[in-house]
Amino acid sequence: MKVSGALCALSALLAALPAVAEPIVGLADSAALRATVLGTPPQEIAPLPARVPLNEIDITLPWARQPRPAVFWFAKQLRAWVSPQRGPAPLAIVISGTGADGNTEKLSLLRAVLYGAGYHVLTMPSPTFPGFIAAASSTGVAGDLLQDSHDLYAAVGEILGHLPARIRITEIDILGYSLGGANAAVIKSIDSTERRLKLPIHRAVMINPPVSLFSSMSRLDQLFTASIGPGDQGFEELYRRIYVRLANFYRVSDAVRIEDTDLFAAAAAVLRTDNDFAAAIALTFRLALMNVFFAGDLYAGTGVVTDPRHPPSPGDSTDSIERRLRDMPFSEYFDRVFAPYYLSHRPGATRASLIAESRLEIIGDALRSDRDYYAQTNADDVILNQPELDWLRNTMNDRIAVYEHGGHLGNLGERQQVTDMLAMLGGRWPEARR
Amino acid sequence: MGVRPALSGLLLCGTLLAAGCASPGFSMRSVAAETPAADNAAAIKREQQLQAEQAAAAQASQTTAQKRELGPPITAADVPSMTTYDPWERMNRFTYRFNARFDEAIFLPVANQYRRLPSPVQSGFHNFFFNLTEVVSVINYIVQLRPGPGAHSLGRFVINSTLGIGGLFDVAARMHLPPARTGLGATLARWGVHPGPYLVIPIFSPSTLREGFGFVSDYATAYLINFPPVYRGTVGWVLTPIALIDARANVSFRYYSTDSPFEYSTVRFLYVRKTLIEDDRLRLWHRGAPDAFTPAGR
Repeated sequence: MKVSGALCALSALLAALPAVAEPIVGLADSAALRATVLGTPPQEIAPLPARVPLNEIDITLPWARQPRPAVFWFAKQLRAWVSPQRGPAPLAIVISGTGADGNTEKLSLLRAVLYGAGYHVLTMPSPTFPGFIAAASSTGVAGDLLQDSHDLYAAVGEILGHLPARIRITEIDILGYSLGGANAAVIKSIDSTERRLKLPIHRAVMINPPVSLFSSMSRLDQLFTASIGPGDQGFEELYRRIYVRLANFYRVSDAVRIEDTDLFAAAAAVLRTDNDFAAAIALTFRLALMNVFFAGDLYAGTGVVTDPRHPPSPGDSTDSIERRLRDMPFSEYFDRVFAPYYLSHRPGATRASLIAESRLEIIGDALRSDRDYYAQTNADDVILNQPELDWLRNTMNDRIAVYEHGGHLGNLGERQQVTDMLAMLGGRWPEARR
Repeated sequence: MGVRPALSGLLLCGTLLAAGCASPGFSMRSVAAETPAADNAAAIKREQQLQAEQAAAAQASQTTAQKRELGPPITAADVPSMTTYDPWERMNRFTYRFNARFDEAIFLPVANQYRRLPSPVQSGFHNFFFNLTEVVSVINYIVQLRPGPGAHSLGRFVINSTLGIGGLFDVAARMHLPPARTGLGATLARWGVHPGPYLVIPIFSPSTLREGFGFVSDYATAYLINFPPVYRGTVGWVLTPIALIDARANVSFRYYSTDSPFEYSTVRFLYVRKTLIEDDRLRLWHRGAPDAFTPAGR
């Protein structure tokens, strides 16, 4: 979830709002929901460097699936970001979470702490980011953990091959948050067999990863149904509720102006109940899913929301498509786009095998035996259920830090999280914790 | 007189664009460095300020008198439809696409180079151009029948034009007179004019018919009165592109940073709702509420 600085600042306003008693959604507790939306308070952020240089990279990748649908006219090149140190240094590759680009606020935070710790930092979009799907995916149908990670690994290889010689890399480590955490671990696993980079990827750190993409997305769909409800009616009610609160809030408050921030951030200031926070989380993931669904439907030609014979052009209205997609959960994407595509392109695959392949278990042996894999998560992470958390603990053994609170990424950048992450990347974990 | 500055502007753009490094299929260009420590310190400070101001606002809003003056609160029945009135959608989408290309190819690279200028130089330009807009703000505040804010903007203009050396320094802000810009769009909203259909203005994007008309009219007003005399002739030709670049450099929005095929409709939805919520605030005045103008904290 994108949580802007302004949103963090606005979080303080919540303290002034009256608490509203309401049954919690049942999938996550109140604190976890709030932490997930509001993120780490700025006072609790780890020390940050004064200045971080930044370079934007745009690269054309020959394996990107063609023809590219006309509506993706703007995404011909993959965009990534690099912050180089002046001298030789290890490189940290950081991968974004579900649906996010390579320069989110969360990535910016990780970039700052990593750069401050002496790393060159390369930040990459998620393979579920529409720009990645159009410019770097070999299938156009996102969501396959192994295939997506292969494409991402190849993209990283191309970028590293083009970096100027003045960026001297002494070691490569990889990390990612949310789905990007799972991608990071899978990429390290791919690298250990393919060895296509100049240097092998040494350590991988997963921050709040899903254990099963299918399960986590289904959980978020449940959150959507519980907090917003099915159909356009639930969506419209949520819109009206937030609009009324925002408009009345701005009538009486001169302290905050909408132009000081963006409307999404402003909306965070009027979230009150657990249901509101759950809706904000569910909606964020649903919006990301809409992009993936739309792109997948176009590339796979499955005709669920687009007509394969008359695909939309850049000038066409997408209103009706968006209305339909808003009501479509991940299971619809899986059953109507993802599975039909992969079942026809992967001999011997079944629906069950595709679900199994969305689990981190596909690299379970490496996670269990290779001491260069690490993980950080929270006991109340919204995207995990108890058996999945237990699986992570058992699999990672002493190479995982599980924090009591924080929800999903709600403690990213917090001092202890950063200290532990740097200890893991530096190979000083778990000794550093003792 | 007009061609020479335009050519030199193009040359400048070309030189600035050539500053990046590129090979076929790959480009890497330096953009403005991030300043995380200062940003986080500002976030902490902002949070503390907001807490204090919010507590004061909450207290004030609880008084019976103010509740009466604000009139009945907005209810679900007052909420505009989720569908945005966009009868010119095809043209707007075309313009949005043009804007995105123009921004990526010319506007943003130049703005990025502009952001590399020493901070005092940038803020000098920015303050100078903002100071010019005070004249239009004063006129609009008068038309809005809001003498208080009008005097505020006039005071800022006088102070910054003199003590601030022609507007290069925002001395007025340090004297607790923070910026409070207005324009014809807000004036029309104050007198009850609806935003009208959604409109994407070439190069600027996004807007509504009312806001677009207001934007063009404000510039025309400034040009006609030409006070201070910087809008016409060679000075105008030189300053106008710099003003545009300065405006772009101070907006963080980037086209298709979401890379979403639904970006157009998302931007449209958010922009129009933001406009309508601000309109409601401006129209409170009609219902006898105190003037919503309180620049404190801005």
